[in-house]
Amino acid sequence: MSLTKNESVDGTTLTIQIKGKFDFNLVQSFRQAYAQMSEKTVKVIIDLRETDYMDSSALGMLLNMKKTIEGQVKTIEISNCQPQLRKILQISRFDKKFDIS
Amino acid sequence: MMHVLIVDDQALNRILLSKMLEQEGYKISFAYNGLDALNVLKREEIDIVLLDVLMPVMDGFEAAEKIKQLNSEVYLPIIFITSLEDQASFERCLAVGGDDFIHKPFDKVILHAKIKAHSRTRELSKKANQQKKLLEYHHNQIESEHEIIENIFSNSLENQGKFKKYLDFNLSPASMFNGDVFLVAQSPIGNLYCMLGDFTGHGLAAAIGALPLSRVFYTMVQKGMAVNDIVCELNLLLYNLLPGHMFCAANIIELSASGKSVSAWLGGLPDAYLIDNEGNVKQTLESQHMALGILDGHEFEYEVIHFEVDPSTRLVLATDGIIETENNSNTFFGEERFLETLKSKPMISSEDIIQSVSKFANGSAQQDDLSVVLLNCLPIIPEEQEREAFSTLAFNLSLSLNSEQIKKTDPVYDVVNILSSVEGLKAHRSNIFLLLSEAYNNALDHGVLGLDSEIKKQEDGFFQYYELREAALANLTGAMIIIDMRYCPDTLCLYFIICDSGRGFSNKSAAREPTLVNNEFGRGLSLLEEVAEKVTYNASGNQVEMCYKLS
Repeated sequence: MSLTKNESVDGTTLTIQIKGKFDFNLVQSFRQAYAQMSEKTVKVIIDLRETDYMDSSALGMLLNMKKTIEGQVKTIEISNCQPQLRKILQISRFDKKFDIS
Repeated sequence: MMHVLIVDDQALNRILLSKMLEQEGYKISFAYNGLDALNVLKREEIDIVLLDVLMPVMDGFEAAEKIKQLNSEVYLPIIFITSLEDQASFERCLAVGGDDFIHKPFDKVILHAKIKAHSRTRELSKKANQQKKLLEYHHNQIESEHEIIENIFSNSLENQGKFKKYLDFNLSPASMFNGDVFLVAQSPIGNLYCMLGDFTGHGLAAAIGALPLSRVFYTMVQKGMAVNDIVCELNLLLYNLLPGHMFCAANIIELSASGKSVSAWLGGLPDAYLIDNEGNVKQTLESQHMALGILDGHEFEYEVIHFEVDPSTRLVLATDGIIETENNSNTFFGEERFLETLKSKPMISSEDIIQSVSKFANGSAQQDDLSVVLLNCLPIIPEEQEREAFSTLAFNLSLSLNSEQIKKTDPVYDVVNILSSVEGLKAHRSNIFLLLSEAYNNALDHGVLGLDSEIKKQEDGFFQYYELREAALANLTGAMIIIDMRYCPDTLCLYFIICDSGRGFSNKSAAREPTLVNNEFGRGLSLLEEVAEKVTYNASGNQVEMCYKLS
């Protein structure tokens, strides 16, 4: 379980990648990951390619993030979901609030 | 020691010549006519032939011709024994392969001088012949090794046929082996990865790095890793593997399965382009980094760029061989001509591009490997993953956690890992985790710790809640949570019972609360209802039973 963040070369995209499980244990590091975003950032990608597990606390954390940075960035994308996680996001109607790819 | 064959039917000449030569320490053999000479040559290793012209059985002319025919590999000098006045036959002597003349009466000094000169030439010829044979041997060996290597290369690099709809590429190596490498693979969730690389130089030395590179690339794509993780690994591999002056300029692309977004790491190749179907450039993508294999792990820059694409977008990648192709008047093909070519017809093919480059080169020898790749940015369906058969063994699993164990362990994660190792359950691990995590955290937070989710509604409540939880957990004593699981292969169901020592959470209100997507909480229990086949609570609200259907 870990969280890494990377800025794109031009600084416009922030990618937060979560490996293993996305749950309450990440609450602080997840908040820190987007707390000091550069002003250039217009897009945030939550990359779940290596995320095997998530629960409702992860959903809460995502919504919390959205509330915090909505005004700052243009797009928040949840990308590379495993099929089961995509299903969980759909059940929770997250596809209405985030770009899910 | 030089071995001289004296061929003369006249005993006087044989004696005179042999006397003169023996003094100088040559080894001597005799033959009495041409045919006889041929027999001696078959038996013995002769270095120089002194050959009379007129002899019975076979004369010198016929013999010379045959001797030269039989000794074509190494120079075997033939010196004709003639009379000075016999000028008319000189020409014929040369025509049949004679190399020199010695005239009667014999002059010792001239004879020695001639024999020495010709033996030097023979020595050189022998050496040259040895070297030629050695070269031939090495050449043959290299040929057969190349054949083997070529076979390995084509087996390990060519799996690109599967993605014809998405990819059109043309690799045209300057020699047998390509220093350019193009790799394509799809990750389990369907993302399409491709990599175009150009190793320093061309030929086998440049191509050899492609083998380990492709192994790492395919393995990481199979795991669905991100482009920046892949480039870090490839860079480290090449940094450790390649000699200091060699590196690999590369573009590594990941197209999402939705066909909507691309992540790219661009290191050291010429500009890549996003074009529309007509070939108009929508965006120029300049190289951002140094090539792979130059910087060590700390200095290496793995940052990618992201951009959005749609089905009418094509991504064009090329190695420098294209724009640096020269024609007869030393003019480069150049970027401008490349861009014009892209526009020269709708949906241009890689074949068209290579043709236009070679038309421009107009017969000038190809200096470098030429590669061009066109990626059509379309949505892709993930490949069917093979479904594991379900285990036929029924089992129960039960855990009782006391306060200390609750504090120190992460039972949900561990239990999911155990269940994932059961055949057929791995594919369901995310759902199993969700069910257990929701039920366990409910039991812990609201049952055992007695926390109230209302706090989460407040500004920054999420984090306050987290701190309260930590504090309450630290002081926990005398609590218990029991997790019971049952796998039933007949119904293909997993049954869970989670029971806690708390006073019971107010499940009724929680379950009835409408699922507001904006709420930071209250989502968990409704998720349970959706994912599980059936969820039931006991009357006191400290026990939940769930059934999860695997099929």
